[in-house]
Amino acid sequence: MSGLITVDLLRRLEQLQLLSARRAKSSLKGERRSRARGLSVEFADHRNYVSGDDLRYLDWNLYGRLDRLFLKLYEEERELPVRIFLDASASMTFGEPSKFLLARQLAAAVGYVALCGFDRVSVVAFPEATGETAARETAVRGALRAVRGKKASMGYFQNLAALTAGGAADFNAALKRGAMEARQTGVAIVLSDFLDPAGYEAGLTALIGRGFQVHAVQILAPEEIQPTSFGDLRLIDSETGVEQEVTFGKFRLAAYQQSVANYVQRLREYCRARGVRFFSVSSATDLSVLLLKQLRAQEVWA
Amino acid sequence: MNFLAPAAFAFAATLPVVVLFYLLKRKRVVRVVPSTLLWQRFLAETQASAPLQRLRRNWLLWFQLLLLALMILALTRPYFSGQAGEAGLQVLILDASASMQSTDVTPSRFEAARAGALKLVDGLKTGFGERNQQMLVMVAGANAEVRQSATSEKAALRRAITEAQVTDSTTRLAEALRVAETLTRDRADAEVHLFSDGAGIDLSEFAAKELRLVYHRVGVRSENAGIVAMDVKANPENPAQRAVFAAIANYSSAAREVRVELLFDGELRETRNLSLGPTNTTPVALVTAQDRDGVFTLRLTGKDDLPADDEARLVSLLPQPVHVLLVTKGNRFLEKALKAAAPNLELAVVSDYTDLATKADVYVLDDVAPTRWPEGNVLALNVAATNWFAAPVGEIENPAIVDWRNTHPLLRFVTFDNVQIARAMAVKPPTWGVSLVDSPQSPLIVAGELGRQRIVWVGFDALQSTWPLRIGFPIFVANAIDWLNPATAKAELFSLRAGEAIRLPLGDFGGTGLTSAKLTRPDGSERVVKLDAQTRELVFGETSRQGVYRVTLGTNRLTFASNLLDSQESNIRPRDSLQVGKYTEVTATRQKRADLEYWRWFALGALAVMMLEWWWYHRRTA
Repeated sequence: MSGLITVDLLRRLEQLQLLSARRAKSSLKGERRSRARGLSVEFADHRNYVSGDDLRYLDWNLYGRLDRLFLKLYEEERELPVRIFLDASASMTFGEPSKFLLARQLAAAVGYVALCGFDRVSVVAFPEATGETAARETAVRGALRAVRGKKASMGYFQNLAALTAGGAADFNAALKRGAMEARQTGVAIVLSDFLDPAGYEAGLTALIGRGFQVHAVQILAPEEIQPTSFGDLRLIDSETGVEQEVTFGKFRLAAYQQSVANYVQRLREYCRARGVRFFSVSSATDLSVLLLKQLRAQEVWA
Repeated sequence: MNFLAPAAFAFAATLPVVVLFYLLKRKRVVRVVPSTLLWQRFLAETQASAPLQRLRRNWLLWFQLLLLALMILALTRPYFSGQAGEAGLQVLILDASASMQSTDVTPSRFEAARAGALKLVDGLKTGFGERNQQMLVMVAGANAEVRQSATSEKAALRRAITEAQVTDSTTRLAEALRVAETLTRDRADAEVHLFSDGAGIDLSEFAAKELRLVYHRVGVRSENAGIVAMDVKANPENPAQRAVFAAIANYSSAAREVRVELLFDGELRETRNLSLGPTNTTPVALVTAQDRDGVFTLRLTGKDDLPADDEARLVSLLPQPVHVLLVTKGNRFLEKALKAAAPNLELAVVSDYTDLATKADVYVLDDVAPTRWPEGNVLALNVAATNWFAAPVGEIENPAIVDWRNTHPLLRFVTFDNVQIARAMAVKPPTWGVSLVDSPQSPLIVAGELGRQRIVWVGFDALQSTWPLRIGFPIFVANAIDWLNPATAKAELFSLRAGEAIRLPLGDFGGTGLTSAKLTRPDGSERVVKLDAQTRELVFGETSRQGVYRVTLGTNRLTFASNLLDSQESNIRPRDSLQVGKYTEVTATRQKRADLEYWRWFALGALAVMMLEWWWYHRRTA
């Protein structure tokens, strides 16, 4: 395996299925119930026959009783498009293990579950890659735009593992564009630290407005939750380069943690108000516990 | 509040430096963090929740300014005058001896002691509602003097201290302490404050069980050379000349170059350059002619801390022939010894003394009880007048010589080793003289003054002993003639120690019948002393300053020389402690500043503020 996720964990993930509160709207066939009428074993409704309809779907029993022609309609099973928004900005490279690693592991797990359920997975990594590896990076990201079928999972993992993080992200712009691009809405999973100076509200609103069912996972590094540098500090933002002078000591740790908790709480309340499932995890969280217990408990999948 | 070191306020210039440090950008540790967003939130929230943030941010600055201010205050050594002591009665003794004139502290040790004493007066609690403290002022110079009896009146105490004068004499401290002890005997809360340099103070005989002595030391160093002894003799090599012997002591730890000048009646006779080794005493002998009675003055040039001992003077009378009358049955040893005793000795030998009209300066009675006892000075061998010793006068066989007093001028260079005596008179030690040589049973040689008569009594026959065969015998005879010579006594009369009273028997100097005598002090001021018919002796006690005192008695002009000549006093090294009695040692206090000064409290406060600042800093950054 590509190192993101263990075989054992994958085996257990195979038994899971992504839960979607809404009917699938995709145009492609899949295993999800949809509003579309089509071919399947699930009976949905009757309608009057009009000339040109396939005679195979006539309800002959009803014709025999009523002497009128009705056509049986079946539910069409469609795929569920799963869109994963992966924050690949410089701020995600921090933490031990890094936030980006956990984000990719989550993306891999969610993607694998979706692929096993014959759903289409597309990973939107932002910001755009720059620098020397930009060409290869763009190719990898292109390959991650649309992945379908369990067979493709191997390549999916490899491509995820090949992703690198760097640069400054515009969270809102990336989410808006992702929402606009999507032809069909489905499940959107946002993996980010939600620490954008411009805020997160506009991006999330765009996804919700487009009709996605949004799951937001905030990944914070342990050092963000419990800083280890004390004294007179000049802090430099890894993305924007903004400098902030702070004099910090152990006595003010509680106050800092309170303000972090406030920030997370505000985000959580924002999400809850809009029907977004929200998780805040530390990048040091154990992956299997997170996947098999916490996400399951929150009914992301079952 | 006053400040001992107000110059330390100059350190206040460092206060703006601290502020400057805060104006400067603090060097911060640079850390790259994922996002400063959380930190901005954190800062915004903590600022929003603490209205005193602006002030609190600067608390470190205020702590440091306070710390610095406290340290500067401590450095300025603030003090409140007062609270010097709790004793109800304080006896203040000012040492006014010659060594207190030393100028190693400006202007002088005595002035420094006076200042310290005045401070002690300031600290006296005499206000309303307080337990009144009393003080008594004594000045210990030539003699111990109570200048102000016990009082709470600060003005009187200050006046007494201000009027005290330093003298040229040695310290009579034991006397002062004895007076102090008497005065404070029934006061349990009495305290004796002694302001002194400790030089020349010998209290080893003084046992102060009850006395609470506080010793305030003045003086810092011992840079002094001085004349500690001076004598004028006939030049042994040339009787026509006079030899001035002196001892020059150097009490500093460095060698000194001095020039010794000898003056006779103010006229320079002789100079000599001397190199004095550190803490050494150098003898010097200067030879000069003398044609009249006059005053020899020895002067040291060169600057040192104590000028008082740089000059010594001696009244030298022109040597006159000594007439010695030897009454003997025949004693060649004695005769020869007498002839060699002095260069200008005129010896007459008789077998009996019968006529008082036969005058001599010294009478030597060798084993002969004269028919008439002479009235002059007597050297008596193996014979005693009836009024000399208490009866009965016995006899002892083979007395052993157990001790002799070699510090006495009579026994200078004389030893009694290997002297055997066959028979000696046994007497009781008399009250008029001191025993110079002792046997277990009886004194063997006694010297003293009975009335106006000097007597040297030898209690055995020289011919019945081995003494004449020893070198000590002729030396003793020479010493005895010198001591018995009335001219010596006269010269001693004119040589005084500073502080010693001038005592002048009027009868000997034609002063009887006069109604007044005029006295001229060394500084030229004069004083007329009234005399009446009954006055036998003129006593003048105001001789605390050394120098030449002149007394005019009618047409007779007499000259007295008063000198310090004291090696103890010249050694001006300030003593850190005084040995009182055998077992007690009093260590110098530092002006009782512990009670007066407050810099310790400021330093303590500074320490507390420093710790608070440290804690505060680490509270913020640890």
